[in-house]
This record gives sequence, structure tokens and C-alpha cells, in this order.
Amino acid sequence: MPIGNAQPSVRPAPAGRTDAATGGDRRRTGAARAAGRFRSERLAPYVLVAPAVLIIVVLRLYPLLLGVNFSFTGDGARDGTAVGVDNYRELLADPLFRTALGNVGRLVLLLPVAVAIPGLLATFIYLRVPGHRLYRGVYFFPAVLSPVIVGAIFNLLLAVDGPINTLLGPAGVGPVDWLGDPDIAMFVVVGVHVWATFGMSLVVFLAGFATLDAALLDAARVDGASLPQVIRHVIVPGLSRTIQFVFVTTMIGMLTSMFGLLFVMTSGGPEGSTYLPEYYIWIQQGQMNRPALASAASTVLFVIMLVVGLVQIKLLSRAGREN
Amino acid sequence: MSRLRPGRWLIAVPMLVLALATIYPLLFTANVAMKTRRDYILDRFALTDRLRWDNIETAWSSVGMSRYVVNSLIVVSSSVLLLLLLGSMAGFALSQVRFRGSRALFLGCLAGLFVPFQVIMVPLARIMADTALIDTYPGLVLVYVAQFLPFTVFLMTSYYRSIPPEIIDAARIDGNSLYGVYRRIMLPLGTPALLSVGILDALFCWNDVLMSLVMMPSADQRTLMVGVTSLRGQYSADVPTFASGVLIAALPVLLVYLFLQRQIADGVAAGSTKG
Repeated sequence: MPIGNAQPSVRPAPAGRTDAATGGDRRRTGAARAAGRFRSERLAPYVLVAPAVLIIVVLRLYPLLLGVNFSFTGDGARDGTAVGVDNYRELLADPLFRTALGNVGRLVLLLPVAVAIPGLLATFIYLRVPGHRLYRGVYFFPAVLSPVIVGAIFNLLLAVDGPINTLLGPAGVGPVDWLGDPDIAMFVVVGVHVWATFGMSLVVFLAGFATLDAALLDAARVDGASLPQVIRHVIVPGLSRTIQFVFVTTMIGMLTSMFGLLFVMTSGGPEGSTYLPEYYIWIQQGQMNRPALASAASTVLFVIMLVVGLVQIKLLSRAGREN
Repeated sequence: MSRLRPGRWLIAVPMLVLALATIYPLLFTANVAMKTRRDYILDRFALTDRLRWDNIETAWSSVGMSRYVVNSLIVVSSSVLLLLLLGSMAGFALSQVRFRGSRALFLGCLAGLFVPFQVIMVPLARIMADTALIDTYPGLVLVYVAQFLPFTVFLMTSYYRSIPPEIIDAARIDGNSLYGVYRRIMLPLGTPALLSVGILDALFCWNDVLMSLVMMPSADQRTLMVGVTSLRGQYSADVPTFASGVLIAALPVLLVYLFLQRQIADGVAAGSTKG
């Protein structure tokens, strides 16, 4: 491990940071020790970067290739033999995986809402709604809680005999089986996810607002622009990069950080209605002992993420130009 | 002064309601944890008549809880230390030293950002099993480090980029090797960034469920977040005790948030704007 080499050294360093300074330096000191010192200095940046790069390559990039490769081999008795696209065919035929893909579609449809909520709230905070100093800290708070904690808390709140139904009872609603009704369970879980993470996007939006030219905003107000007009013609174009960033990170968050909620709140049920690709992958690899099938699902998830990222960047940059 | 016009109360009131909705669930849980089972069944909302710590004690002494806490503390602290060490070393070299291939190496690190754990879960579990690292502290630490290192390197690189190169040149003229510059200049100068990145990394590792679930299959190696989920089965009929377990698991994060709220939010903001 190169960490051991990163000890401080009191030897005088050769002068140059560039290759050009090397020749003269060596001639002046002459001795072989200086050459060794020089070599160690030239290697130094590589030694500093190596551990990080090594870990990332070996434990992130290489497994990606390994996984894609693995998805074309078989499980169980056919372990290690090439099976072509059999895993992918099986995936597409599996109703659970289809539900998972359908739920991804629902997430994409809900995405504008999940971006608009923190965007609007950040706008109001930026425009100094009364109490604006407090809100950033308060809204951000659930974002630091583990999905497991959030899920457990909402399990209590959403129980059939729980407090939310108790509240709704006098209003003539319910009792609703929030997590037990296949038609609504997915939306409830997404709602909880948005509750837990909108503070993250809010902070990102506020950081974007810090770069917005306040004079532009004041000019618009002086000209008598209404709030919706200001949002449409000043804030949205001014923050297009931030909005794009939040779109992509929110979608990636929905695809990769809802496992904890699903694990605690629904376990994929009722009737498999709350499956997402990440949950499917975990079930197939850990519970069903189908690692190759899970790898195929992983590859599909990766492709979905790439496509979503690229499409959103395309769409939003075009929208930005039209403005 | 507010830049909003008189209609601002139309906005202010819903925002206040939302703020309450953001913190109420946790207050509710804390209140439930202080109640007796009977009180909870009779009235879910009523404030507890007094602070009652029995449920917390029951949850704390249930099977494995203290073990889970120790597991989490060991894994999270080692992961964060390693992340900060490797992240600052790489960040310093990538931002302040000109060398062949530095751009490619930086992009290589960034590429790691786009590979979520879910996508490499199966091969990674296999690699860990083949190297006998599965179900061990070092195994999970390595997985955490690999997961959060791209982010850490990225933030440290962009932070170090803002340090004027003259400082490094001066230190070199004083006879420091590159390692000396790293240890004597860059580490101390990097403290604010190391602090905020370190807090975020610690939160991410502490809150993780999936990686811990996959990499630590046996019960006594569980981290706290996975452990809490096992309380649910144990106390499914005893809501106050389960709520107490949840509260115990949330407490460290709550304390960190109360004291370091600004650093955490600023760290997230920095991650988004430095792109």
C-alpha cells in the first residue's frame, strides 16, 4: 500500500514542478542519491493519487464490466456458462420486473412535482418570505435521517389504526390502508421519499440562487412583473443549470436511494406493487440466489440511468435555448 | 425586508404548515417512545404525562442493540478516516500538481460517481466473498470507501483548487518534498473542507442499509440501521418500544445535525455548485 510512503520528508525538494527543470537539477547535485530523490519526487503525485484511483477502479469500474459480463451467464446448474440473452428474456417475462419498470415510469412522471416543490420553496425563501431564515434548516432536517428511520416513523404514522387515519376519521375518510393497497402504496412510498429528500434539492436551489443577479430581479419587480412572471422569465432561465442538476440528481435519487424505504415499509408488497429495480436486484441476488439474473437487472438499471440522464440534459438544454 | 408583496401571507402560512409537517413525525415518535403501551392505544396524540425512559431501556437492552451500535461506530469511523486521507491526498495532487495523466485520473475518479452500488452489487459481493472480506469490518469499510470516494475526491479537488499555488511554491522553496507539502500545508489548510466532507461521509455511511445488508450477512455483524429493522419483528405489538429503538438510532444524527447544520447544508450546496 502506498499509504506507507506518504511519510513527510525533510529532504530538499528539486525545484521544478515541470519536466523541463529536471536536467540541470540532476547535473548540479550529481550524486546518485539526488537522482533517487528526484525520481521519488516525480512519482510523488502518482503515489498520492494511486490509492484512491486503485480503489475506484477495482471496486467500482471493474465490477461494472464484470456485472455486464456476468449477466450473459447462467444461474444454478448453468453457473458460468454463456447463455446469451436468456436472463434478459426472463426479466422481461417476469411480472415483478415489469412492475418495477412500470414504477420507474411513474417516478419519471412524478419527477416534475418532486423538482417543483423544492424549487418553489427555495424561490419563496430567496424572496424572503417571513421566517425565511429558519426554513432552510427545518426543511433540510429529514434529509439527514436514514431511510430506515424515516420508513419506521411513517410505518407508525400510516398504520391502519395509526394516527393519520385517526385524524382523517372525523373528516369521513378512511380508514385507508396506505401501505396495504396495491393501487396507492407506491405513491405513498414516493411521497415519503419526497418528504425525506426535498430539503436536499432545496439547498441546491438556494446555492443556485446565490449566483442569480439580484439586479435583474429588482428590475423585473420595478417593471411590475407578477410573481409567476418573475419565476418564468427571470428565475427559470437564470437557474437553468441548477434546475437541470436537480432533475438529474432527483431522478437518480429515486432510482437508487429508495431501497431503505421499500425494505422497511412494504418489502415490495402489497402484491409486488412497490417493486423498483434496486429492490428486485436485491431480492434476486440475496433471497432467490439468482445472481446472474440480478446482474441483468443491474445492467438494465444502469442503462435506464444513462438514458434518463442524457434525455433530461437534452430536453432541458433545448428548453433553455428557446427561452 | 421581504421582497414579496402583501399577498405574501398566502405563501407564508403553507410554508409554516409544511415546516411543522417536516419536524412533527419525529416529535410524534419521541412522544410515543415516552408513553406506556396502554397510553398509546388509548390516545395516539396526547402528550406523555411524564418523561418515561423504560421503553428506551428495553429497546437498548434488546438482543444485539449495543453490538449494532459498536459495529456502526467502528465501520463508520474507519471509513471516514480512510476517505478523508485518500480523498485529500488525491485532491491535493489532482488540483495543485501538474503531472502526466492527471486529467485522465481525475475523470476516472469522477466516473465512479455514475456507478451506483445497486448496479455493481452482485459482482462486488462476489469479489468480497472471494477475498474472504465479506462479513468483516474491513470488507464493509472498503465498500463504503469505494462508494463515497469519488464524491470525496471531487470535493477535495475543487476545494484545493482555490488555494493559491504560491503557498505551495513557497513551501517547496523552504525544502519540503511533495509529501511534506501535503502533510504540513495542505492537510491543515484543508480542515474546513475535510470537516464538511467528513460529516457528509459519516452521515452517508451511518445511514446506509443496502450495502451493510449485502456485505454483513450474519446477525452479529449488523450495523445499527439494519439492526433497527430487526427490532420491528421483535416489538411489532409494542409500538412505544419500537419507537424507542428508532429514536436511539436517530439520536446521533439528530445531535450532529443540531450542532453542525450549517456545515452539512453547505457541503451539499458545495457538491452541487462546484461542477
